[in-house]
Amino acid sequence: MEHKDTKIRRLYIEGICTLLFGVAVLLFFGWAYPQHLHYQEQYQLFLFDSTYVWEIVKQPGGVADLLGRFCTQFFLYAWVGALIIALLLSSVQLLTLRLFNWGKLYGLSFVPSFLLWLFLLDENALLGGVWAVLLTQLCVTGMILMIQFLKRKMVSRSIYFMIIITMIVTIPILYWMVLGGSHYHRYPTVFPTLLYVAWLLAIVLPFVMRLFTNKATKFERLLSFTSFVLVALVMGSLVWKNANFKAEKVMQYDFMARYQQWNRILETINTEKPNNQIGVTVQNLALAMHGMLLDHMFDYNQNGIAGLLPDVKEDATSPLPTAEAFYYLGMINVAQRTVFEAQEAILDFQKSGRCYKRLAQTNLINGNYEVARKYLMTLQKTLFYREWANETLSLLGNEEAIAKHPEYGHLRQMAYKDDFYFSDHVTPDMLKSLYFNNTDNRMAYQYLIAYFMLTGDREGYSKLLEEIGSKN
Amino acid sequence: MVILVTKLHHKKIMKRYINYYFQFLTAVLLLLSSCANHPDVPSSSKEAKCLPAIFPDYCNVTVPCNIAPLNFMLPADHYEECVARLTTPDGQQQTYGHGVKVQIPESEWQAMLGSSKGKSIKVEVWGQKDGEWLSFNPFEIHVAEQPIDEYLSYRLIEPSYVAWSYMEIAQRNLTTFEETQIFNNEVTCSDIKKGQCINCHSYQNYKTDNMLFHVRLSNAGTVIVNDGKISRVNMKRDYTISGGVYPSWHPTAKLVAFSTNKTRQAFHTSNPNKIEVYDLASDMILYDVETDSVSIVSNDSTLLEVYPTWSPDGKYLYYCKSVPLPEEMKDQDIRTTYAKIQYNLYRRSFDLASHGFGEEELVYDAASADKSVTLPRISPDGRYLLFALGQYGCFHSRHHDADIVCIPMEQYAGTALSAETASPVDLTLLNSKDYSDSYPSWSSNGHWIMIASRRDDDNYSRVYFAYFDNGKIGKAFLLPQEDPEQHITLLKSYNRPEFMVEPVKISVEEFSKVFDK
Repeated sequence: MEHKDTKIRRLYIEGICTLLFGVAVLLFFGWAYPQHLHYQEQYQLFLFDSTYVWEIVKQPGGVADLLGRFCTQFFLYAWVGALIIALLLSSVQLLTLRLFNWGKLYGLSFVPSFLLWLFLLDENALLGGVWAVLLTQLCVTGMILMIQFLKRKMVSRSIYFMIIITMIVTIPILYWMVLGGSHYHRYPTVFPTLLYVAWLLAIVLPFVMRLFTNKATKFERLLSFTSFVLVALVMGSLVWKNANFKAEKVMQYDFMARYQQWNRILETINTEKPNNQIGVTVQNLALAMHGMLLDHMFDYNQNGIAGLLPDVKEDATSPLPTAEAFYYLGMINVAQRTVFEAQEAILDFQKSGRCYKRLAQTNLINGNYEVARKYLMTLQKTLFYREWANETLSLLGNEEAIAKHPEYGHLRQMAYKDDFYFSDHVTPDMLKSLYFNNTDNRMAYQYLIAYFMLTGDREGYSKLLEEIGSKN
Repeated sequence: MVILVTKLHHKKIMKRYINYYFQFLTAVLLLLSSCANHPDVPSSSKEAKCLPAIFPDYCNVTVPCNIAPLNFMLPADHYEECVARLTTPDGQQQTYGHGVKVQIPESEWQAMLGSSKGKSIKVEVWGQKDGEWLSFNPFEIHVAEQPIDEYLSYRLIEPSYVAWSYMEIAQRNLTTFEETQIFNNEVTCSDIKKGQCINCHSYQNYKTDNMLFHVRLSNAGTVIVNDGKISRVNMKRDYTISGGVYPSWHPTAKLVAFSTNKTRQAFHTSNPNKIEVYDLASDMILYDVETDSVSIVSNDSTLLEVYPTWSPDGKYLYYCKSVPLPEEMKDQDIRTTYAKIQYNLYRRSFDLASHGFGEEELVYDAASADKSVTLPRISPDGRYLLFALGQYGCFHSRHHDADIVCIPMEQYAGTALSAETASPVDLTLLNSKDYSDSYPSWSSNGHWIMIASRRDDDNYSRVYFAYFDNGKIGKAFLLPQEDPEQHITLLKSYNRPEFMVEPVKISVEEFSKVFDK
């Protein structure tokens, strides 16, 4: 029997280790990996709506999925998201610890949580998977507690009967809540191996360990702490090595464009010049927003037209920064189409708060108030977009207020008046039409000149200057 | 692999049982909640002296004697509460209202319809605004003697451009609110990046033992049900420009006329029509279901033929065909000339014995009035012709000027009709002003016209019905929903609504098996 003081000391040390782990997770996601959390948030839209909840919960694994989606909405604020992940992963560790007296192998109780951490490094790994592991652990722990309770209260023959009954009741519930789930990764065809290994270890490992005698040794505490340090170092370095910091940087540019952080973008590109398509697109947009594109574009990396207004591709990520540029240029229908298609390209058929916002805005600018209302009514059912939706709803149909609005009123002035068909590829004629439609559109002017500068089309450029001269 | 398949199979079974369990729970809950709220009418109110602005607008509509409850609501941003009192011709009265919504239990509604057949239900509505009750002018719901076909199927899809996500073909029981799935694009999509598009569900003679729908991209093919037996076929032949696209089942024979199309899309920078769908080329084929053979009906490479539809007796095939462009426009990019492409309506006689087609007859010359005709449908008694008419092109579902036109066929005596010579039925009560009205069809008894319309918000198409009797049309009304707000909040379009007299009896799982082969 463990001495009471020893037990308290052990629990104290274990608590500190769990806390250390939790803080590490918090710092990692909050400080080093926040853009991955924002990325997750923008590809789902949690609605406080009974139909939405029911549609998720009625699916096998729906409870875990719902809890995952509920938590993911908080990823809009990276530190809150990081805290949620830290709490979840720490809980998984504590429950793993609870299932077996690990002794000198104490460090192994962190392995499932570290595996889940590794799993979450993938921007398409969904938090529902972590909830599935946690809920399974809770069920197993509950079952064990119930069996222990029954053991104490009942005669031996009835115990087995009660165990069977408990399992008959628990397993289908568990299946409904978590086990049957397939929505733990955004790509439905991807088998999230890490998640399932973590799941297996969190449940099976403690029981397997029970098969082996875990005799107390002289240096129990030291060995136990050493195992923790060892696991933390090995798994921690694995996490760091597998973290996709390159993607984190790309996501950061998209995030800054989403929230119109033009100054921050300039600060960032001055620190490190972006060399990826999204980064260059956002860099050029920020330069143009400051009226600096033509004077400073060659101070930074360029990627031809693909870095100015890249062709729209059929995925959910790459078109969004381009859509930001379309929007601020006044190419409202082009922006609307690009955002709509990006949302449709979300592989697990979810919707996006960011996309719904932009669709509401473009419809508002176009005067399609009833369509804008539909998107806004949906956003009213969210936690973090509700206030914005309420404010924007009051603008619908209010022509005077829209005209005075610094963004919508301005963009209405800048938007196309001439109609023609646009395609996935931006042409100089599209930019010309935009500029000549309203020569106050300085964004269009910068992009138009930049287009010729980037393509080196001297003839086209001379012709353009003549056209501008003749218009003036 | 075997383990994976078995696992998937078990998962499917488990999923099905779970769904049954929840359906049972839902049924119990619905049963418990069927004790409708019967509020008192306000003791005092101020007269509004106008009809209530209810959504959907069911004021003075004529409805089938078997339609689901016409639930409605007052605008939630203007009213706090709504109470409605319904009075049947036999003097029975009942009140309904919960919040701003009026939702009538199915059993009570069906009883009301039963006692009002051929007569009217009087509806009085009160709305509470800023704490004060307003009483509106009463209106009537006329109950026709004629029922509507019990089922309706449609594709539910986001009004997309090129990309799409989840879509389904669903069927709705029009006498209740029950909606079930016929197929969806998730269950057999083997390549998620490629995606899967499902479309063009079509039935023979309103029945579902012979039907089809297309599956494109991942696991592509046309799923054909032949006397209940499912198969998946590839209709593309060396001599056709594509597989079958827009279908029409022959009313009696196992034949399907299809157009074959090379379809493209273009997007407007400022035109509110937003999206243009056009064909670079289109022809027509006849597919023999029994022999899996494809024969050419027409393949004039200089013109575009589309939207074949059979006359109810199967003796004529109607279709739309483009008018030749002026010589100077012929070599130009179609995107610059598209607004000049207009279609007229033609027909060709058909001999069932030889599968031969007769000479082409021009039935309706739309181009002479600078218009373009699409989607013809002949009434089951053969007396009326419906089509969608817009200024140009073949895809009016995005054209604001598109309206439905109905012409008595007795006016056609071999000489082409036109805007000048034809006297169409007055469809003012059916068409919307400045919004696209398209995809018309007849119920099997010819008394109900169904269309897809974007009149509610200009973007999401909804299903509207109108009573038709002997050349007279009733006011169009929106497909009723259990929650009247659903039409406002649902971010999907109702695409290609088709009447059926019976449900599709094949389950999604059974359909999906055809993709395993």
